[in-house]
Amino acid sequence: MKVLTDVRLLFWRKMLETLRNPVYMLTSLSAPVIYLVLFAPLLRRVAGNGVFTSGNVVDTFVPGLLAIVAFFNGLFAGWGIIDELRSGVVERFRVTPTSRFALLAGPVLRDLVNLLVTVVFFAVIAIPFGFHLHLFGFAILLLLISLLLVTTSSFANAMGLILKDEDRLAPIVQGINLPVLLLAGMLLPMSLAPQWLEVVAHFNPAYYVVEAARLLAAGDIAKAKVAQAFLVMVPLTVFVMAWATRAYNRAIA
Amino acid sequence: MDDAVVSTQDIRKAFRSKRGDVEAVRGVNLSVQRGQVFGFVGPNGAGKTTTLRILTTLLMPDTGVATVAGFDVKTEAQKVRRHIGYVGQAGGADRSATGREDLILQGRLHGMSGSDAKERAAELVAALDLGEFIDRIVGTYSGGQHRRLDVAIGMMHRPVVLFLDEPTVGLDPQNRANLWDQIRQLRAGGTTIFLTTHYMDEADELSDRLAIIDHGVIVAEGTPRELKRDIAGDVITIGVGEHDLHAQKLMSLLKDMLFVRDVNEEPEQLRIYVDNGESALPPIFRLLEQEGLRLATITLSVPTLDDVFLRETGRSLRVEAATAR
Repeated sequence: MKVLTDVRLLFWRKMLETLRNPVYMLTSLSAPVIYLVLFAPLLRRVAGNGVFTSGNVVDTFVPGLLAIVAFFNGLFAGWGIIDELRSGVVERFRVTPTSRFALLAGPVLRDLVNLLVTVVFFAVIAIPFGFHLHLFGFAILLLLISLLLVTTSSFANAMGLILKDEDRLAPIVQGINLPVLLLAGMLLPMSLAPQWLEVVAHFNPAYYVVEAARLLAAGDIAKAKVAQAFLVMVPLTVFVMAWATRAYNRAIA
Repeated sequence: MDDAVVSTQDIRKAFRSKRGDVEAVRGVNLSVQRGQVFGFVGPNGAGKTTTLRILTTLLMPDTGVATVAGFDVKTEAQKVRRHIGYVGQAGGADRSATGREDLILQGRLHGMSGSDAKERAAELVAALDLGEFIDRIVGTYSGGQHRRLDVAIGMMHRPVVLFLDEPTVGLDPQNRANLWDQIRQLRAGGTTIFLTTHYMDEADELSDRLAIIDHGVIVAEGTPRELKRDIAGDVITIGVGEHDLHAQKLMSLLKDMLFVRDVNEEPEQLRIYVDNGESALPPIFRLLEQEGLRLATITLSVPTLDDVFLRETGRSLRVEAATAR
């Protein structure tokens, strides 16, 4: 299959780039550690006041953080693509018979591999902080946040292609980042929110991911919220990927 | 039988802008024969790059038909892509990879097997003399090395036609000369080359045929020799230095001389088109003396493509290049 070969070739190109710049990987690995060391102790204090209804505070915090990492890592792809627009790489590939889907999927797959490495590392690091790892649930959690990353990375790639300029991309990414982050209950569960906020959160796809991620991390797989999260994320991922592929296909003046 | 590798019929392309639609290409008709170097010349913003982007499937024309290597750019884009090489202004080599990796990847994306791609890359490295730097990371290349790799990437899959967009912009004279040699070498190997440039000397030097585009339409087309022959006679260029206060008066006096066909004023110099340069020099000297004008320089030359452009558009490319800077 030409498409699969193309995806593999373009994935490996980006993967080599990552392997040659271990600084990137180290930066993305250090973020979760910083959260655990500098933020988790705060949560422990809050936990005593009955804010968290169930279980260990780290068990509530870590899955949300994994979702944040997936969300952020994906959005950063926009900067990479603008750099490649400028160096002519995107144009060069567009004048080959390479599958347009592969032009998108290759780099997105690299982001996905980076994410999985980061997240697994994070989960292992979190164990001494009191994180309970349920393997099967965690595997499904990985699948779910992979969908989130593929969505944000595809979206950011397409936005980069359309806007072609970091200065125009930054406000958009920033404008999405903060509300999505806060409305997903990534840092604190949405169950703490007043009702109007919780209603608004239901329009945020990341909210479902975070809610399901907490259940999955605890090993609760057969829950309606887990099914709900996949029902939201699978169509969204397909839709965003299709739209982003179109961005590669369309004339970019 | 027409052996056109590239042909267009009345292609047009407009872009939307705040001040309404701007027609970048307004009905371009072109035909490039197999084995030629075709120069596509014009000032910045004339529609060169837009035309090139249409031919290389990066942009859809609004109307008109364009075929490349026998395929329609609108309806058979993938087939067109299989048969063309393209080197954009920015290049396109991946700066985080080695040159050889870039070559092999390009071959693989064109459907070559791994071993075929390796073999072809080695062939190009030898033919284009890239061995010295090909296994280094592209980010460390000099401008000239980078550009040579870009051209090699475009040649990886043995395209029927190679498109080069302003290939020598930003290169120093030595690298420019090297690239010219490379282009001649590719042509000798039978590759059709479609080259855009805003350097008239470059087009003159390299092209078998060329077209001059201005404001989205082609204003002249032919071999460099044909185009220059149409401006028979010689050109006398006089440098007027600081004295250009007198230029207006001098111009009208010059135009009154029988053998002078035209005079064009440029910054600190006048270009005088005459039938016979050698016999025109003495009377021009006398005139300048009468007017008390001290000459800075005087040159007698044959017309260049710049003069062709000037005649067709009423503007001088040299002046535009100077003011653009």
